[in-house]
Amino acid sequence: MATVASNPVPAHRQYLLLLHAAWRGQLQYRGNLVLTLIGGVLYQGVGLAFVWAVVAKFGHVGGWGMGELAFLYGVRLTAHAAWTIPFNRLNSMDWMVQRGEFDRYLIRPAGTLTQFLNWSTNIQPLGDLIGGVGVLVAASSAAPIDWSPTAVLYLLATIAGGALVECSLQLGLCGLSFRLQATYALRMNFIDNIMNNFGGYPLTIFPSVMRFALTFLLPLAFVAYLPANVLLHRTGELSVAPWLAWCAPLLGPLLFAAAYKFWYGQLKHYKSSGT
Amino acid sequence: MSVDGLAPRQRLAAYAGVARVQLRTQLVYRGDFLFRLLGLLVNIYMLRLVWDAVYPASGTATGNGGHRIALATQIAYVTLALVQNWLLNSGGMGFIPQRVREGTVAVDLARPVRFPSQMVWAQAGAVAAQLPFTVVALPFALLVGGARPPASVGAAFGYLLSLLPAVLISLLLTTLVQMVAFWTLETSGIFVIHRFVQQFLAGALVPLWFMPGWLRVLAEWMPFQATTYAPVAVYLGQAGVWATLGVQLLWCAVLLMLLRLMWWRALRRVVVQGG
Repeated sequence: MATVASNPVPAHRQYLLLLHAAWRGQLQYRGNLVLTLIGGVLYQGVGLAFVWAVVAKFGHVGGWGMGELAFLYGVRLTAHAAWTIPFNRLNSMDWMVQRGEFDRYLIRPAGTLTQFLNWSTNIQPLGDLIGGVGVLVAASSAAPIDWSPTAVLYLLATIAGGALVECSLQLGLCGLSFRLQATYALRMNFIDNIMNNFGGYPLTIFPSVMRFALTFLLPLAFVAYLPANVLLHRTGELSVAPWLAWCAPLLGPLLFAAAYKFWYGQLKHYKSSGT
Repeated sequence: MSVDGLAPRQRLAAYAGVARVQLRTQLVYRGDFLFRLLGLLVNIYMLRLVWDAVYPASGTATGNGGHRIALATQIAYVTLALVQNWLLNSGGMGFIPQRVREGTVAVDLARPVRFPSQMVWAQAGAVAAQLPFTVVALPFALLVGGARPPASVGAAFGYLLSLLPAVLISLLLTTLVQMVAFWTLETSGIFVIHRFVQQFLAGALVPLWFMPGWLRVLAEWMPFQATTYAPVAVYLGQAGVWATLGVQLLWCAVLLMLLRLMWWRALRRVVVQGG
């Protein structure tokens, strides 16, 4: 064991070590595991169950049939799972700042964000992943998509990009917690709520002002809607240029880089609560 | 459990005390109200847009009973049902599990009033704390969604009357689900499952008149619809007052019995954790 300062553990190893510990801790509660996973599937399933009931009665939503709607929902949900699995501890941001827990993260020889993201974990997002991939698989044959290798790659890029868009918004707002102490309600009750509510619908059913807001103010359309239109050959009905829809997966990495820098920038404003 | 040691008046005072403590606890966190309100309004607005989009151009659709449901009636339903569901379910679910986890349940058991009654009253206090917020939220909800006058004077009285058993059934259901903590200790999974079943079968998203056949039958035979669908359907003249009240009272009796039974079993399982 050489001295830590001269021979630090590489960043990726720090991350993996802490990740492993967080998961081991959570998997101790076997009894609750299965129920939590079922709960995870159902939590996000409410929206799809609603769409299903509406389509069972009226046949479509905004001209989209059940297969297309389920595909859109599946893309959104899988993207959501892809960021909430590694980043679910963002939930505890306010609490950690208020209790002065960042004191510890700042003096230990590992990345601050790495430590914060892995102080524990929540297994419920695994339920989202199961639900999302399940819906996606079921819908991919029901929806009219030509499954070429390019299409599959584009879908994977979409999920990664969509996950990064949602994650960046949450990470960025978490950065504000260093100054404001509390951003949970804004992040979860407002932003995440909008994402979960509106993310699974063709935006054509909304008034144009809202369509604009959900594309350019809160980039919800970039998570799943725009790329889903590309795969479903529906770019003709969009109110933005088709090339923008094609490029939608690129927004995620750009936003994430900005959010990451912003979070570390805001960390400088952290004041220990002294407890 | 020396329940017999207390006069009814003393017992009532004790219950009121338990409720008051929970009411105060809830009011401490009123800062989040603005964003929770925005979250509710987002939900209502979204459902309104979806029903707007799927409804036939004629402005009416045929419900399960064969009668016509006007779009305005449907939107008024969604608005009232969501506000009501919000009132009943914002109080949180974590009461008993927390007491079991921390071992403080031992103190509750030593009190000279029955534990299940303490819990139901505590939950009632939590719901009562949401009342002022609901009063503030209602006009905004009606603005974002839509309002309709009650179908008749009788329907208006019937609505107010049916709200009482609706609240009681909701309190009993929540307490019953929380009691599972005595068996499993960890309950987050159960709660999410309950939330899904509750939201859907209560008719908070889709009224029973638009549910596909088998789902409607299932919903009719479950207690959840008595908490949300039943009162709103009475208000809009879509369900008879007396039949609804009869079913609600029946559920109150069944659930009370179930709570007794479950408590009787739980007492044999109590594990007091920690010191």
